[in-house]
Amino acid sequence: METQSPPTPPPAPAPPAVAHVEFKAILLLALVTTVICGFLLYVMYARGVFDKTQQLVLIADDSEGVIVGMDLTFSGFPIGRVRRIELAADGKARMLIDVPLKDAPWLRTSSIFTMERSMVGETKLRAFSGILSDPPLPADAERTVLRGDTNAEIPRIVASTRALLENLENMTGAESNINTSLANLKTVSERLTGRFGLLSGVMGGEDNAKKIIATLDHTNALLAKADQRIFGTKGVMDSAQAAVDGSQVAIRELTGVLTDARASLKKVDAVLAEAQAVGANARVASADLGALRAEVEISLRKVTQLVEEVNRKWPFARDTEIKLP
Amino acid sequence: MNEQYSELPDSRLVNVSASRARYHPAMPTRSYAYLDSAAWGRAFLRGAASWWHMIHLGAIVLVLALSPSTYNRANRANTSSHIYASTWQVLPWFTAMAALLSLVLIRIVVVTALSYGLSQYALQMVVRVLVLELIPLSAALFVALRAGMTFNASAQTNARPSPVDPSVPLSLNRLRAEVVPRVMAGAFSVLTLAMINSVIVLVLAYLTVYGLSPWGLPGYTRTVGQVFDLSVTLGFALKTIFFSLAVAVVPMAASLETARDQASLSGVQPGAVRLFLVLLLIEAASLAIKYI
Repeated sequence: METQSPPTPPPAPAPPAVAHVEFKAILLLALVTTVICGFLLYVMYARGVFDKTQQLVLIADDSEGVIVGMDLTFSGFPIGRVRRIELAADGKARMLIDVPLKDAPWLRTSSIFTMERSMVGETKLRAFSGILSDPPLPADAERTVLRGDTNAEIPRIVASTRALLENLENMTGAESNINTSLANLKTVSERLTGRFGLLSGVMGGEDNAKKIIATLDHTNALLAKADQRIFGTKGVMDSAQAAVDGSQVAIRELTGVLTDARASLKKVDAVLAEAQAVGANARVASADLGALRAEVEISLRKVTQLVEEVNRKWPFARDTEIKLP
Repeated sequence: MNEQYSELPDSRLVNVSASRARYHPAMPTRSYAYLDSAAWGRAFLRGAASWWHMIHLGAIVLVLALSPSTYNRANRANTSSHIYASTWQVLPWFTAMAALLSLVLIRIVVVTALSYGLSQYALQMVVRVLVLELIPLSAALFVALRAGMTFNASAQTNARPSPVDPSVPLSLNRLRAEVVPRVMAGAFSVLTLAMINSVIVLVLAYLTVYGLSPWGLPGYTRTVGQVFDLSVTLGFALKTIFFSLAVAVVPMAASLETARDQASLSGVQPGAVRLFLVLLLIEAASLAIKYI
């Protein structure tokens, strides 16, 4: 392709003459520019570019299923949008959510945030505010998300169900305890409906039940005899009554004896008073005995000195000198 | 080797592959290996030169189109007449046709999604499929086909199919006067048809789902906002611009090249295959960037 300027450019092929062609072209340009600008503004508005927002940070163990641009809903209405998802230093997922200020009053300090992941469909972030009179949620608040994951629950449910089924199988087996218990119950119920009813069931057989009934008969006979012996004519009760009557006479006699004993004791008191007087005299005599004893001791000391004196004299004297080596 | 063996028909040492390949006596059995590689090489070089010519012309035209000096009075009038012919004349009935087809598709998608209980995804799917993919592509194909039909019509009437006279060498002034208005008009046509019909499809989708009630507007706006995030919006804009440039530049470059090389003219618009290849590449790249 040559790009040198030619001597004279040939005129362009003349298009068919149309009225106001330049005006129409400008009209089209203006229309397209308006459409493009309007579309861009609408998309920006739809993306929430013009909304004033506050930030909320939701922390979860696992951010799987959460995508940027996802809604945070409250009562089914979107009130926030996930702006960014990042991994925190502690290994947890931090979801930064923009909440428009006009929707922020729905979030309170007591609000709960959940992340629900169903088997089919997308993950949902939801907010629940039970007490709307609580203080509003401050900006840049961090909240932990409660997770409700159906998929994560399934393995646990399957394991529990398997254990349950194994237990059920063990319980319903031919040799299981329940079957044995039921057989025993059947035996017991058969006995209960037998001739001796409950007794044969409890005692384990008709023979034992017969023995019980015989024992009861004996007991009845024994009770009749005891009744006769105790409450009958000249029974134990009559004898006891007579004994009680005799006891009352004896008690009266005992009272008389006690009165006599009281008089005797008074006499003993007088004797004791005299004995005290004797004791006082004896004390005085004891004091005199002390003086007598002293005198005796003095006499004895003198006798001792006399005996020692005699011993010192010849021929009773002894050599008491001690010679040192 | 084959030639050597084939010249000895009585020989027992006839090459098996040669004997199999020679299923007619008149057929030459010479090897084309050397000639093929040379032909392939020439074809490759010719193709590379052709692509380079296209890219070079496109760059020059783009620079001229962005130069204020291009738009003198004569060129403005010329550009206006081309815009009128390529856009104003086709806008109403292309819009009507696209709206009708879009309405059918929207209805099908919405009703199907509703029957499966997935109505919350219907709007997103409509916006993604129609606005982001089908409308720009159909606008580009429509403008390209219309240019092809114009070419065929002029070829049948033995008129000059090339937009410029091949006997006169191309110059910047000629490019500015004759090529730039056509390229600008073609690109503008694709851009206009795509944008206006995208907006119309958005309105139709809202009306199909919510009817005339204004109360679905916040939810619909939110859905549109979820679809058009930054990367998708950027990809949509770039794809539409590339479509319009491809539709405007590729046939023009091919027809200029054909005219310059004095090649025999067939009934097919020059560069049609290349244009569809370029459109396909742009669409595939857009999808790959968006969804992979």
